[in-house]
Amino acid sequence: MAYEHRGKSTSLFGSVDKVTLLLYLLLTLVGVLAVFSASWVEGAENVMSFTHNYIKQITFLIVSLIVGVVIMLLERSLWHKIAYYLYGVAILALVATLLFGHTVNGATAWFEFGPIRLQTMELAKIAIALATARLMSEYNFSIKSFKSLAKVAMLLIVPLFITYMQNDTGSGLVLCSFILMLYREGLNKWICIPIIFIAVLFLLSFLYSPMVLLVSLILVFTLSACFANNNWKQGVMYLAALFGGSTLLFLIFNVAQSFSVSYYTILLVSTLLSLIGVSIYAYRERMRSVLIMVALAVASIIITPTSNALFNILKPHQQDRIMTYLGKTDDASLNYNVRQSKIAIGSGGFFGKGYLQGSNIRYGLVPEKHTDFIFCTIGEEFGFFGTMVVLGLMFAFILRLMRMGDRQRETFGRVYCYIVASILLFHTLINVGMTIGLVPVMGIPLPLISYGGSSLLSFSIMIFIALAFDAQTARNI
Amino acid sequence: MNGGGLSSRAIVARIITIVIFAILVLRLGYIQLIDDRYAGLSAKNYLREVVIYPPRGEIYDRNGELLAQNRLCYDVAIVRKDMPKEGFDTTMVSELVGMSREAVVKKLEQSPYRRESRLTRYPITVEQKLLLDEMNIGGFYTTQRTVRQYPRKIGGNLLGSINEVTQEKIDKDSTYAVGDYIGMEGLELAYEDVLRGEKGVVLQDIYAPQPDRNKVLSEAVAGKSIVCTIDAGLQQLAEELMKGKVGAVVAIEPSTGEILTMVSSPTFNPDELVIGRERGNNYAREIENPRMPLWNRAVKSRYPPGSTFKVVTGLIGMQEGVLRPHYTYTCEMGYHKDGEHIGCHEHRSPLDMNFAIATSCNAYFCYVFRNILENKRKYEISKDGFEAWREYVLSFGFGRKLESDFLGEGAGYVPTREFYDERYRKSWNALTLLSLSIGQGELGCTPLQMANLAAIVANRGYYYIPHIVRQIEGQDSLDARFYKRQYTNVAPKHFETIVSGMWRGVNKDGNCKGARLEGYDVCGKTGTAQNPKGADHSTFISFAPRNNPKIAIAVYVEHAGFGKDMAVPIASLIEEQYLTGKIARRDLLSYVKHTKIDYPMYTKKKKK
Repeated sequence: MAYEHRGKSTSLFGSVDKVTLLLYLLLTLVGVLAVFSASWVEGAENVMSFTHNYIKQITFLIVSLIVGVVIMLLERSLWHKIAYYLYGVAILALVATLLFGHTVNGATAWFEFGPIRLQTMELAKIAIALATARLMSEYNFSIKSFKSLAKVAMLLIVPLFITYMQNDTGSGLVLCSFILMLYREGLNKWICIPIIFIAVLFLLSFLYSPMVLLVSLILVFTLSACFANNNWKQGVMYLAALFGGSTLLFLIFNVAQSFSVSYYTILLVSTLLSLIGVSIYAYRERMRSVLIMVALAVASIIITPTSNALFNILKPHQQDRIMTYLGKTDDASLNYNVRQSKIAIGSGGFFGKGYLQGSNIRYGLVPEKHTDFIFCTIGEEFGFFGTMVVLGLMFAFILRLMRMGDRQRETFGRVYCYIVASILLFHTLINVGMTIGLVPVMGIPLPLISYGGSSLLSFSIMIFIALAFDAQTARNI
Repeated sequence: MNGGGLSSRAIVARIITIVIFAILVLRLGYIQLIDDRYAGLSAKNYLREVVIYPPRGEIYDRNGELLAQNRLCYDVAIVRKDMPKEGFDTTMVSELVGMSREAVVKKLEQSPYRRESRLTRYPITVEQKLLLDEMNIGGFYTTQRTVRQYPRKIGGNLLGSINEVTQEKIDKDSTYAVGDYIGMEGLELAYEDVLRGEKGVVLQDIYAPQPDRNKVLSEAVAGKSIVCTIDAGLQQLAEELMKGKVGAVVAIEPSTGEILTMVSSPTFNPDELVIGRERGNNYAREIENPRMPLWNRAVKSRYPPGSTFKVVTGLIGMQEGVLRPHYTYTCEMGYHKDGEHIGCHEHRSPLDMNFAIATSCNAYFCYVFRNILENKRKYEISKDGFEAWREYVLSFGFGRKLESDFLGEGAGYVPTREFYDERYRKSWNALTLLSLSIGQGELGCTPLQMANLAAIVANRGYYYIPHIVRQIEGQDSLDARFYKRQYTNVAPKHFETIVSGMWRGVNKDGNCKGARLEGYDVCGKTGTAQNPKGADHSTFISFAPRNNPKIAIAVYVEHAGFGKDMAVPIASLIEEQYLTGKIARRDLLSYVKHTKIDYPMYTKKKKK
């Protein structure tokens, strides 16, 4: 089904996936319109001056399209050949940025070439994607092998660490999205699920007390095990024994008054001890899922009280952002961004206030309204209708990229396409999510729409490489 | 790749994508379509409710002359975040608004965000506002409003003043908010509900204050103007005549109960108490004046009515049947009985009632008074007779509020049986109270009540409740009570003899000939009220002409001696002005205007 009208055209541009190209053009057009709205000042002179953001954005779009055409003309094998070299250059560039870069909003992530300012990580992502794709397409690479996975991890951890040093962890966290591609490539789901689970738990641990989390964890895991094995009696018995025993111990300790122990401590110790018994039982009974649950539970229980310690690893401004997201701060200026962003989007209603009519945008009440918070401009001026159109375009675009990946004949191209799709998905989730208060504020742009030359250019290059892979695959049939 | 289909992993990858997008879509749908808080919060972000102050209703005199009007002024609000960080001249601003530089700087520091904060306590003038606009500093915002202006500068106590509403009032009445103005005293207070109008609310765009874009939530409704019953020219004349004297003048149109003039002397210039920087000082000056200009004597003071009250004694006697106009009594330089002695001046004797009123014989009314109280045919004991007498007196409007539309009206005082029982340990009779017959003793009347007595006699037996407002914009009529004749308990037929006595007193052989106006048949009764504080009070009630009276007046001048000395000429000049439209007696006018009474009792500072 993926090949219906392919092969008819043999020219390079004739075999380009026109739907994807159209989606790309539509998204960038939306971007230019939104940037214009966010930057336009009523009554400003020199509408066409290069000092205006929208003129810069249009210029970058033209540059991106030219670069795109060049990419389409290059042989796909070239990318395979130079992938590792590009990776090396990217790492050097990141280190150079860290040492000599320009600091914006606390992040030393920018390199200045005269009037042009580039965010190194944006471009480095292309190299990392290509290098990862090449690594995973090596003949001796096995997704099931620990050694192979460790290589991938190394490939990702190095740039992640550098972005952490740059104070720009947000951009680095994009690499976490590779988990989706790894899953697609056959990574054990019992590796994927815990990673995601622990990430979610990490955030929740700030919201709720350890006691609440511990009880929830016990209930969730016990009931999941019951569900997996369809054996409810054992689960209920286990819960009764655990809570009954803990309560009894608690009373004994406190009535004796010899020394006082909190209920939390008793429950925690009892649970950990009981899990030893449970795992022995499960091992004998060959209940693999219960064993996995036990491992997860232990990991979760260890994570929960230590998350504060982990939290301290984050930079202060990152801690602030997370605390803001969790509603744990009274600092009005920290809440301000998200609050204003939600107000702008929320007040848009169904059809929005009309193009160039968004009052919150006009009056500069939304911070970073043309870059990271560009989605507010769309939300306020075009309402739910506008946000659905943009999300719809992005959704179609990501599915299209996955489809392009799936019809690649080589692992290299497939992995690459999936990485691009994963990055776009991650950016969309985090960027849109932060504007509507779903995720903490991280300084990452909305792909193809947010104002910013390096962002637009790097996403364009990334996408055109994928398009080139796809077009050349089609031609070679 | 497995054939044409997708691997299950690829499908799950798509499902994950769908789930993520679904979460975003649901959340967006919630905040954009369901949760309606954001529209309001958004509006609050850049809109603010601005109060539009309505102009206060104007006050006109009975001839359409403006007594109180509005002057445009501006409240200055400051928002520091909209101000330039530096580089504007605080010294210039402070000079412009008349504050010290330190005060301005302090104010700027206190008001970082909200616009509610006013820079100056008092509004600035139009000129100051234009100068401020010219300086063009961001962060200064002006709100238009009005303060009062009293162009005739007369009738301080009559008109009252305006001040900022107190927190106490705001707590009680939710129509007021901090910074609103409210009428204080006088007409401004009495007709506050009518004059104030309704505040409007406009949604203003904070960042782009363009008037045409503002959304009007509720229109401001201008206060209704009122036409009061005062004759501005007459009021001014009366105030000038009362200069240097302490007392009051009240003139009423008998056929309507409309108050033509109401002077409390000393008076003050209402224009000096207009909200502004000078108000505090001026107010302090007035309040510290030992003659108490802010005390409205015309409606509040309790004065002994003196001989003017003989009119009432005579009328009650006739109604009670113990007096016929032709009864004569002998006056031997006063009334002497059982050790009680009330003196009188020299005049023909014996005399009838007509002459007794005209010449103001004390003895005659002592007889009448005793006859009223000791009327054995009607009352067992004279205390019952006293109570009957008291009822008559109350029906003349004494000892109670007249229910006029003027707030702060005093009730005066008419003693009760209980009062005397306590004072004399129940052992009292008509002789004990004899001085009541001639308006002395414990009687206390407001000048308004005395002018009302003049109106009652002028009307031959009834009055209209005196009132200060003639017409309210948009209203066809006043309260119904002002159109109802209030009859006394004395039958109208008895009044004509009293009227003729009062006419005789002015025009023939009485003691108030100074009030005579050729061709106007002025009727009047003088009073010389003894008092423990000093010289006698000079008082006079009068009306004119005798038939179809146009004006009834009471003049009360504290410590000015005989009624004919001061009260008569003042009343007469006012009547002349009102009836003839001019004053021919220039010498008298000048004499009265320039006469100052010595008030040793008022020189001491008021005790705190």
